[in-house]
Amino acid sequence: MSSPQAAPRSAAPTARRLFAPGLLFALPFLVLFALFLLWPLAQGLWMSLTDTSLSAHAPGFVGLDNFTEALRDADMWRSLGNTAWFTVLSTVPLVLVALGLALLVHTGLPGQWVWRLAFFAPYLLPVGVVSLLWIWLYQPDLGLANHLLDTLGLGQLAWLGDESVAMWAVVLTTLWWTVGFNFLLCLAALQSVPDQLYEAAALDGAGAWRRLWSVTLPQLSRITVVITVLQVLASLKVFDQVYLLTKGGPNGSTRPVVEYVYDVGFTGYRLGYASAISYIFFALVLIASAAQYAALRRREK
Amino acid sequence: MTGTPAPVGPTRRRALTTALASGAAVLGAGTLSGCGSAQAADASTVRLWDLFSGADGGLLNDMVRAARPDMPGTRVERTVLEWGTPYYTKLAMASAGGRGPDLAIAHMSRLAGYAPTGLIDPWDLDQLAAYGVGRDDFTDAVWTPTQYRGRTYAIPLDTHPFIVFYHPDIAADAGLLTADGTLDAAAFSSPDRFLAAGRELAKASGEQGIAFGYVTDTAQGWRLFYGLYRQTGGAFRLPDGGPAEVDVDRMTEVIAFMAKIVDGRTNPGHLDYSSAIAAFANRRTGMILSGEWELGTFRTADEKVGAAPFPTVFGTPAVYADSHSFVLPHHPDPDPVRRRRAHRAVAALLKAGQIWATAGHIPAYGPVTRTAAYRRLQPQAHYAVAQDHVVLDPAVWFAGAGSDFQNAMSQVLQQALLDGLAPDRAARAMVRRLNTFLAKPSPA
Amino acid sequence: MTSTDLSVRPAPGARAPHPVRELTARRRAARGGTNLTLGDGRRTRVLALTALTLPAAAWLLPMAWGLLTAFKSEGDASDPAHWLWPRHGFTLQGFRTVWERGDLPLWMLNSLFISAAVTVITVLVSAMAGYAFSRTRFAGRRWLFAVSVAAILVPPQVLIVPWFRQMLTLHLLDTYAAVILPQTVAPVMVFILKKHFDSLPRELEEAARLDGAGHWRIFWSVLMPLSRPMLAAVAIFVFIGAWNNFLWPFVATSDPALMTLPVGITSVKDAYGIQYAQTMASAVLAALPLVVVFMIFQRHIVKSVATTGLGGQ
Repeated sequence: MSSPQAAPRSAAPTARRLFAPGLLFALPFLVLFALFLLWPLAQGLWMSLTDTSLSAHAPGFVGLDNFTEALRDADMWRSLGNTAWFTVLSTVPLVLVALGLALLVHTGLPGQWVWRLAFFAPYLLPVGVVSLLWIWLYQPDLGLANHLLDTLGLGQLAWLGDESVAMWAVVLTTLWWTVGFNFLLCLAALQSVPDQLYEAAALDGAGAWRRLWSVTLPQLSRITVVITVLQVLASLKVFDQVYLLTKGGPNGSTRPVVEYVYDVGFTGYRLGYASAISYIFFALVLIASAAQYAALRRREK
Repeated sequence: MTGTPAPVGPTRRRALTTALASGAAVLGAGTLSGCGSAQAADASTVRLWDLFSGADGGLLNDMVRAARPDMPGTRVERTVLEWGTPYYTKLAMASAGGRGPDLAIAHMSRLAGYAPTGLIDPWDLDQLAAYGVGRDDFTDAVWTPTQYRGRTYAIPLDTHPFIVFYHPDIAADAGLLTADGTLDAAAFSSPDRFLAAGRELAKASGEQGIAFGYVTDTAQGWRLFYGLYRQTGGAFRLPDGGPAEVDVDRMTEVIAFMAKIVDGRTNPGHLDYSSAIAAFANRRTGMILSGEWELGTFRTADEKVGAAPFPTVFGTPAVYADSHSFVLPHHPDPDPVRRRRAHRAVAALLKAGQIWATAGHIPAYGPVTRTAAYRRLQPQAHYAVAQDHVVLDPAVWFAGAGSDFQNAMSQVLQQALLDGLAPDRAARAMVRRLNTFLAKPSPA
Repeated sequence: MTSTDLSVRPAPGARAPHPVRELTARRRAARGGTNLTLGDGRRTRVLALTALTLPAAAWLLPMAWGLLTAFKSEGDASDPAHWLWPRHGFTLQGFRTVWERGDLPLWMLNSLFISAAVTVITVLVSAMAGYAFSRTRFAGRRWLFAVSVAAILVPPQVLIVPWFRQMLTLHLLDTYAAVILPQTVAPVMVFILKKHFDSLPRELEEAARLDGAGHWRIFWSVLMPLSRPMLAAVAIFVFIGAWNNFLWPFVATSDPALMTLPVGITSVKDAYGIQYAQTMASAVLAALPLVVVFMIFQRHIVKSVATTGLGGQ
């Protein structure tokens, strides 16, 4: 770890150590880190204790008022609930579908690049494109989704306009858009399974299904856990596609907590209160991370 | 990319270096401080933000074209943003940042959230007068809301009331037209008469009477409710911090009446905004309660379509309306030349208001509505009197077009109209929501 | 973990295997893997092909529908009776209108400039920090590294409001700097690169150091060239992230002249109302750059995602 050259240098005068070359190398990052991560993090905490607003008026200290208000704010709880619900609804298919597709593609069928392109290309689309495309697909009178339902003889849906459907529509879009990422991670994991394991299994007379069950899937268990963890954290942070598809509607039924922060802070001018909710959200993410870390540790023991 | 350091050809290395170098060059040239922004763009340009898309958007383009001779050397460059909350959020953020556009359209009902917060700058009336636009060119009802602490923060472009449209032949069959062919206001002058008129319209149309689209809409319920409530003469005072001083009995009365309008038998029961338009345009109803801005749509379907101010159902004349106006987004130290150009552009656009009137809006600039050309516009001239009794949203920072407040109120009303929430409970629920809004600290 | 061939393999000095030969070997290995995972039965292969074709078609369908719409006339696009095939043939009208309006090319340039700037700064700064944490000693090194790694847990969404406030204070809202700077802080990239440098053997730098090379020369002329694949992986990942980033550019810019592609095409509306063919044409144009890049650099991008996407787990 340590550079052998560093030892004698540590004996040098303090001034030289202060400007140790190592520190100089780290400095650009540390400056950006302090300016655009630590400072905003601290400023956000401070703002959450004030009534800072978007307008010119001078902010005043309000103690924990913002937090007590937030805990009694039904809209905030609803948005937290929406975020949690979205996380559940999206994580399950995003992991399982990715796994399934990767297993199928890994069978080595011809046209590898076509499959990879088909499943991964949506991930490369900017969210603006994804939302424009899906708003058009979900358009009630002209969109493909309802035409297909018609063709299949099923009833039409108000995809983004019906409170009981909108969240599912958002999840479907999310699945289409981002599953390619998890798919690639699964595929990479599959490719790194040592051939010897399969050879040994084949020698033992295990058939294709048996090999899948007792070689491939166990080998994939770690990456599956990792992908699930990453996916949960990503889903908790959802904003873009929900905001662009439904603006959180209809009637707030899809509004995630990050959008609530945006609405309160920028639409409602209340930056201080929005900071408080940001921190509540942050706490939620930390709790989720800690829980997953604990679960991971237990599993690895 | 095999992870092997040795056999990397010179071409690839050169490509990488070139890429890095050009990246650095771009970085250096960009100066990072946003000089590339339209701020420093064309010196003769007035950047205007608005929320007009569709028919209104096309007409504003025509207006800009027509106003060109009145503003030599000035080019208006429009940016159209999404109507409603997204628009006002962006406008507030841009104004807070001090790099907003030179000029923006805002609903008058939003002014209470903009003027006191310092997000917009006051107009210079002397400069406007130099371009031929003065205080006396506007009615009191339109001018008063533009004032805050003795200064003028908005120049009204139009008034757009919530009115009624009808098919003249159906209305005539129903016996609801007067001798001169206008709508007989007396036939709608009480809740019972209004509902009876609906039944006559239903008979005459062969299907249903009066359409009103409100399902999942973020404003329609509130528009109808507030206009009717103000007709009852009930108080609606919203002091800072709350609680709201309102007349719950009158509110209940109005909500009960609204629920009877959308009964689902005589009149359609659960229409959203666009299906209500379709129902009226396809003559499945004889009348629709709607904003005048849909005039163009209705005229395409029925070129003789009639219109009238919203009838006085509860005694006191009051018509719910809003007003598009021009505002100056805040700049910390505005360039006087740019500001002057913005003043000139507004004066020129106001004078081209006749074009705006074709959309259905009532131009706010008096010299336009006083012309014979305007009086010839039908049916616009029939509801121009609505201007005298307009009520705007309560002047509180959280209300106004595209606000969360209108949305919240409309949602409670939808529960009463669609899901059978009892009118008195709906009224109390509205008061509770009101008090929640009032309890929030004002950003000013 | 999945990136063994990227981060661990390169043994400096050791003669690397011939790239072509290695590639063939790997292909053979992949095909071998095939037979071993699936078995050789024809029936199974046909079954798998069918099972794969269906989802692939479903995944391509939305894009095909968008493309189809983009080439229709406005009238055909909003004709519910002929929703699939246009009655009046295909046209480039939508593309022409969108392109001539002029803001789309501008947003593309903004996106390109902003993403390039974010990538160059992030990669350079993170590589230097990774080197510092991996190869040098200075007071507070461990502590600073620990803080940086802990910061990986901070979601950017938490910082949106304070960033906005900060840019307001600095009078930087609606500038490129406001969009770029917060995106350049990537502790996870520092972590990845530090681990990567840790995995490189030290013999080469020792030789260079004996020749009198300082830290800068070791970093720039020895370690950076050795790390090119890793740097490319990080750069690709950062670039895609910046290109597709929405929330912060959306909050930081209100001036349409400064917007990035995803923000511009969704914020700025057409004065004449919603035009579906035009909307899809602009979506296609906005999607094009990255899709083309992907087709060309598919392998690199796939590898970049596999390497960097796990955040060094």
